[in-house]
Amino acid sequence: MSLEELNKLVETGETEASETAARALLAQGADPLEILDSLTKTMERVGNLFADLEIFLPEVMMAGEALTAVVNIVKPELQNTSGEPARGKVVIGVVKGDLHEIGKNIVKLMLETNGFEVKDLGYDVDPLDFIKAAEEMGADFIGASSLMTTTIPRQKEIIAFLKDKGLRDKYKVVIGGAPTSQMWADMIGADLYCEDANCAAAKMAAMLDEKTA
Amino acid sequence: MTTAYRIWEMIDRSKTGPHIDEDDFLPRLFTPTLKKIIKKYEIKYDAATPLPADDAMADRIWQAGWELFRDVGVYNIDSHRIIQVTDEEIREALYVAKDRYWVGGGKDARLWKHRQVEDTEPPFCIYSPDITVDEHLHHSMCAAYLKEPLLDGFCAPILENAIGQLIASGGPTEINGCIQHIYNMRAAARQLGRPGTFFVAVGTAEHDAGQIAVSNNEWGVRTTDARLVGSLTEFKTADTLLNRSVHYAQYGCYTGSLTGPIYGGWCGGSEGVAVTLVAYSLKGLLIHGAMFNQHFPFHLNYGSNTTRELLWPIAMAGQAMARNSNLLYTSNGFANAGPMTEMLFYETACHALVSTVSGWHLWEMASTRNKYRNRATPMEARLGTEVGHAVARMGMTRETANEIALKLLDRYEDQAATAPMGRQYQECYDVARALPTQEHYDMYRRVKDDIAAMGVVFPF
Repeated sequence: MSLEELNKLVETGETEASETAARALLAQGADPLEILDSLTKTMERVGNLFADLEIFLPEVMMAGEALTAVVNIVKPELQNTSGEPARGKVVIGVVKGDLHEIGKNIVKLMLETNGFEVKDLGYDVDPLDFIKAAEEMGADFIGASSLMTTTIPRQKEIIAFLKDKGLRDKYKVVIGGAPTSQMWADMIGADLYCEDANCAAAKMAAMLDEKTA
Repeated sequence: MTTAYRIWEMIDRSKTGPHIDEDDFLPRLFTPTLKKIIKKYEIKYDAATPLPADDAMADRIWQAGWELFRDVGVYNIDSHRIIQVTDEEIREALYVAKDRYWVGGGKDARLWKHRQVEDTEPPFCIYSPDITVDEHLHHSMCAAYLKEPLLDGFCAPILENAIGQLIASGGPTEINGCIQHIYNMRAAARQLGRPGTFFVAVGTAEHDAGQIAVSNNEWGVRTTDARLVGSLTEFKTADTLLNRSVHYAQYGCYTGSLTGPIYGGWCGGSEGVAVTLVAYSLKGLLIHGAMFNQHFPFHLNYGSNTTRELLWPIAMAGQAMARNSNLLYTSNGFANAGPMTEMLFYETACHALVSTVSGWHLWEMASTRNKYRNRATPMEARLGTEVGHAVARMGMTRETANEIALKLLDRYEDQAATAPMGRQYQECYDVARALPTQEHYDMYRRVKDDIAAMGVVFPF
């Protein structure tokens, strides 16, 4: 079993075979960090193919599942090495009154494959539940998605409640979804607007880098 | 009579049908079933021919859509169960569904009939900007659309504010916004001398309460009008959506089933979108008792459906349904470019051409990726419906239409990702008089002349 073969299995979303391959590689003495680095590059390539729609959502989701399965096997082996912490912590959800979650699910996948730890709150999420979850997780970001024009005011409510609770500076509020725009983000005082799922991870990573610089 | 007679059986099944976890429904059931069916029926997208003339494939897509709907069913996210139907029930609903309905009232009533592929009967044209609009522009925009001569039905823009308050879905402001919405439509229709115009309303209602609040034959949405019930991506529903189906049927208005399969999403590529469009039409008929289906397939990245990977499924699904059913269905255009750009006019023309020749009725036109406030005007819808009337009257064949579609695509396809946003309504319309500016009209005329030179014979 080679690292290249494992990457191919993950890319094609073959979860069980990927798990077997990962165990075999570790048994052969492969460096767990090297495995994860290599898989990160593979998922970056998968993400790029999806961005250009050369592959579609089901393929990316399957690759993501395979990746998660391999990470679960490899991660415990990292404890003896210099395991990297998550790039950032995110609570994410679709705002109250909105049941459309495909965009949120894609962003979640992109964040996870780029090293973020993500807590998914699902859809129809009360503004206060975003904040509660962020507090519990010790999140860096609150990500609020909305597909419908009449549900975007709920994004504004999250920011208002953060101010009311004196927590506004504790979290970066990221918004996205079809009816949202940079103009809307500016209007409600969101920290970041993501026009599509593909740019979320890069923009959020850059924001974290600025914070730590 | 619509197929709403089975509505309580469907509601019952949403509480008693097979259980599956919501997270598993799409990746474990919907997509694998769809992939298997596409392979079984040998459905293959051809980028070189955005408007194919392949009857055999159209018929296979019909069968594939039927099988997808029967085998997957519809998932209710509130009950976590699947509503399933049988072949016999599908056959029964298709037999009972009428191929024509009178809609609207009085002198403004229209007969809306099923169309065939290459039908010489013009499409039924519903005008809709689909976007949101400033409160102070809403009445003007309603009036501007209702001034359009080829308008058979009207769906008004969506309000974001009412009485100065931001409308929040599910709350009191939504009910208020919905009432303002239908008042503006009614007032504009009366002022324009078309009081009985067929409305599809109200788009401001995201929740069932907003829709229910405006059911009133005197001042609100009438029983001669239609209302839409949406779908969650893909093949999911919820109690708030089923509430609408029940209310529309019991109130007595027409129901339209609104669906937007996503290219690049759980449907995969063009083949999957085509099959899913057919399956969604059957879902509308059986689950919601819909009189018509309103489809807006769109590209995951662009949010539009005027590029060839979306025109192909529109063409093939339209032909599949035209050849194998009596159903009524509208093709909802989503353009990349914004108002008062030549690109938007060409996109709309191409969408209307491909749809009309393939048996669809028209629902034109969401512009600027259906994303930006005030960015839509009646002018692009006017050109689209004029193209629809022209190619129908000409009895244009799919082969000829495909050649013209390729010429139209040549005008804009390479700009899909970087399309211009154009202008806002108030920048290219005289708001007080609800008429286009001269500059806007001249651009429309210029593009129309160019399309005429490609071989489209406009009736006026």
